[in-house]
Amino acid sequence: MALITLCVASLVLFTIYVKEDDSGPLHTVQLGAAEVLRPVRGLFGLATSPFSAASERVEGALDASEKKELEARALEYEEGAAEAARLRDENGRLRELLDGERPSFTYSPLARVVAPVGGQLTERVVINLGSDHGVRPEQPVVVGNNTLIGRTTERVTPNTAEVLLVTDQNFAAGVRILPPKASQGETDEESTTAGESTSGESAAEDASAASEREPDFGADSHGEGLLRTSWEGYLGVDYVDLNADAEQGDFVVTSGRAGGRELLFPPGLLVGTVESVSSQDINQYKNTVVAPAAEADDLQDVRVIVNW
Amino acid sequence: MALGGAQTHVVRATLLVALAALLEVTLAPLLTFGWVAPRFLILGVVVAVADLRDLQALLLGFFGGILTDALSGGLFGVGALGGVLAAAISLRIRVVRRKVGAGPFAAQAVAVAVVVYDLLGLFAPILAGQDGPPVATYLAGGVVPDALLNALLAYLAGDRILKLMTVKEEKWT
Repeated sequence: MALITLCVASLVLFTIYVKEDDSGPLHTVQLGAAEVLRPVRGLFGLATSPFSAASERVEGALDASEKKELEARALEYEEGAAEAARLRDENGRLRELLDGERPSFTYSPLARVVAPVGGQLTERVVINLGSDHGVRPEQPVVVGNNTLIGRTTERVTPNTAEVLLVTDQNFAAGVRILPPKASQGETDEESTTAGESTSGESAAEDASAASEREPDFGADSHGEGLLRTSWEGYLGVDYVDLNADAEQGDFVVTSGRAGGRELLFPPGLLVGTVESVSSQDINQYKNTVVAPAAEADDLQDVRVIVNW
Repeated sequence: MALGGAQTHVVRATLLVALAALLEVTLAPLLTFGWVAPRFLILGVVVAVADLRDLQALLLGFFGGILTDALSGGLFGVGALGGVLAAAISLRIRVVRRKVGAGPFAAQAVAVAVVVYDLLGLFAPILAGQDGPPVATYLAGGVVPDALLNALLAYLAGDRILKLMTVKEEKWT
């Protein structure tokens, strides 16, 4: 009976100790006792320091395997997290591709960029889809929400196709310059007036913000021209009339036709945003520099528009 | 006023348990090798209560454990329960003392009590919501060597401590 009573008393003490906070009576008793015993502990610590050193060495030897196991587990978790981040990123890209599908277009299956091609002055990649998948030469290649990144060249094999990127100097496309949707116009005006002299920083901000904005396809065009990369390496729109309203932050989309002629690309594919606009009296056209909407270095999954 | 033999024995047992509790919280942490350490409290309780009455023994184990809990920073109640159970084990096994001798008796009782004490130390943190060691590893690498080490200590020291505890009766002349 006494044994049971004392066991219950012990369990009650244990429960109280676990439930109370650090300022509870049992914790306070322990704190007080620790203060009282500090000199005694110090004395014993001094006397047993050789044993402690030996103990630490033994513990170190015993814990080596546990440490290795923990390190391996941490590495495993890091790899898992990296894989999860990669899959999340890929999922986002694929979802954007699917969400951006237009009913009037026929898309190829998802293609993966397998290799860059060429040297310093060429901007080409190879994708792992070819004629067996309906891919033909001269077809537009897009990423995300119908963002044009290039077109297929004549080099199409049954299972691969070469893609000429928009930043290649041999690439050209008829484009229109469109303002952002009205709700975003105010912020654009502010940014335009604040940054008359275009800096690289503001251009980078514009490029990053462009993914969240949309061109206003219903608005009057701010200009038309030919998208191409100059020999200096700038992607720009040539032949933009001096009277055109093109301004920084406007969107550049494919025009799809020039007068009565059908062009190589369907209309409305986003190419980039206007980074800077300048003009001089002696020039016949405006100088328009464009920041591409998709970076060639980030290309992974693309789709070819095989019909429209 | 002189104390009687039984009272003297109780006082000595109490002092022994108090000393054991003090050593448990001051010296034992410095002599810990992994999960193995001398369990002074268990050793003291097992030996001290061997010749006490049941209730005295259990109370001494309980309060020795309380003292250990109070002086240490561990979970309160674990030492008390360990002390009570060590006293109970000592009372249960003491019948073999006359057959096998003081050393083997102390070794057996301490080995069993240390196993119980280590199991309490294993499950108490889990009950308190803290992380406990891996059970299988702890049983193999902690409980068994701990019991063997303390049994050895009890075997070597138990006999002498029991002799110190024994009150010599004055002969009537």
